[in-house]
Amino acid sequence: MNQLNELHIDTLVEIFSIGAGRAALSLSEIVNDEVRISVPSVQVISTEDINSTSLSLSCGPFGAVTQHFSGPFNAETVLLFNEEQALKIVSDMMGSQMSLGELAQFEHEAMCELGNIILNACLSAMADMLNFTLESSLPYYTVASADEILHRLKKNANQPYVLVLHIDLAIEKRSTAGNLVFLLSSTSLTNLIHHIDHFLSNFA
Amino acid sequence: MSDIPATAPSAKRFDLEDVANALNLGLIVVDADGKVLLWNNWIARHSAVNEANALNRHFEQVFSEPVSPSFLTALKNTLAYRLPVVLSTALHRTPLPLYNAFETNQRQARMYQSITITPIQSQLNESCCLIQVTDSSTSIKREKILRSHSEILKKEATTDGLTNICNRRFFDAHYEITVADAKRQKYPLSVFMIDIDFFKSYNDHYGHIAGDKIIKLVAATLKSQLSRATDIIARYGGEEFVLIMPHLNQQIAEQFAEKLKSAVFNLAIPHTSSLHSERITISVGLCTGIPKKNHNMLNQADTALYQAKQKGRNQYISLPLCETEEYLEQ
Repeated sequence: MNQLNELHIDTLVEIFSIGAGRAALSLSEIVNDEVRISVPSVQVISTEDINSTSLSLSCGPFGAVTQHFSGPFNAETVLLFNEEQALKIVSDMMGSQMSLGELAQFEHEAMCELGNIILNACLSAMADMLNFTLESSLPYYTVASADEILHRLKKNANQPYVLVLHIDLAIEKRSTAGNLVFLLSSTSLTNLIHHIDHFLSNFA
Repeated sequence: MSDIPATAPSAKRFDLEDVANALNLGLIVVDADGKVLLWNNWIARHSAVNEANALNRHFEQVFSEPVSPSFLTALKNTLAYRLPVVLSTALHRTPLPLYNAFETNQRQARMYQSITITPIQSQLNESCCLIQVTDSSTSIKREKILRSHSEILKKEATTDGLTNICNRRFFDAHYEITVADAKRQKYPLSVFMIDIDFFKSYNDHYGHIAGDKIIKLVAATLKSQLSRATDIIARYGGEEFVLIMPHLNQQIAEQFAEKLKSAVFNLAIPHTSSLHSERITISVGLCTGIPKKNHNMLNQADTALYQAKQKGRNQYISLPLCETEEYLEQ
């Protein structure tokens, strides 16, 4: 079976909401202010059906933080944010204390950290709930247009499935929406479903 | 071919600890309980804590100053979930109490740091963490230098080389934004076109170098009359200047035009070839009003300037914005 049913999706929304909560807590600690992160929806689409609408890639350029996770399932995960909005958030986070304002390299490093916190939180929540361990590469940050992102996602024939999480992030008065994309092979998707089924059977 | 025996893999010909100590970055390994297992020379140098005093002690207790809470959270997370974590300079600045030099006795600021924490496994299969610390102070300095250079270039691109006031390029961009804003918010703008009277004959009589001095002096004098950040004066062409000021009513704008004229007159710069006065004077064309759809304030101010010239110079003429050009021609 290679299909996620409604129950699986609900479980994933639940898991990622816990992850989002953890990420928000970590970020609040860093910025000393309230940070809210929510995951309003999760969907699985086949790589062929990826387009700018399914990923809500309205206008770019986008900042992308990528990490490769491996374990019971392997996934290339990419957190996508509209770069301009994300940079505003990052510079809010940096605040005036640093007076590094507009130093591109540091903003990119900060974006990488922001992505790392959200990705790790979502994946560790998954590992906790579904009871497995994951390993991960270090995060790296790239800037790309919507077309480049779609091209990159589609060219990967080994990963025919894409799990897309829509993420809303709000820090102080600013908010932005982003997408967390998991590129999964069919084996990985099957393994993921298997773990979710196992998790659900505990409540049956 | 080689003298090295095949049984000695190259990795074993040197000690990895020597590599760690030679590295130009900080390396720390802590175990699951937070005890220090590796403390390289770089860290020892920048923390002023030697290896012997760090090994086997709890990470937090090694330093005499506190470690940032977000660093400890990150370390705890890496140990618990075995996922790598990055701590950026921008968001953390100085998580660890590290300094660039301890030789000088002066109290220094902490070193800016960029940190990576990765899970590793000990030979006993324990969960450990490798902490890598790099000094970002130099890259911050480098970026700041690049940025200040780019700011200088940006300033040069918008400044008039002779007078150091804004140039035409900057004014055109500023004018467009200001007029659009005034239309939207419905507030009055005043545009002043200013020209030095009989400048060509001054140049012919006193020479170009003296002429340039006059342009600089008049520009500085006009600029010194401005006190609000929203008032912008620019060199519009040869001896012509343009000034835009928001939120003035007709009467105040006219008083200001008079003030500009007097300020230049009071410089009392001799101009013996001037046809109407023995000194340098200016003519001012003013247009004030709330701009609407098709209004061209620059044209109207220019028309006013032309009239001031026609009427004998060393004066200002103010035209309201609402009159059409046909009416003015009558």
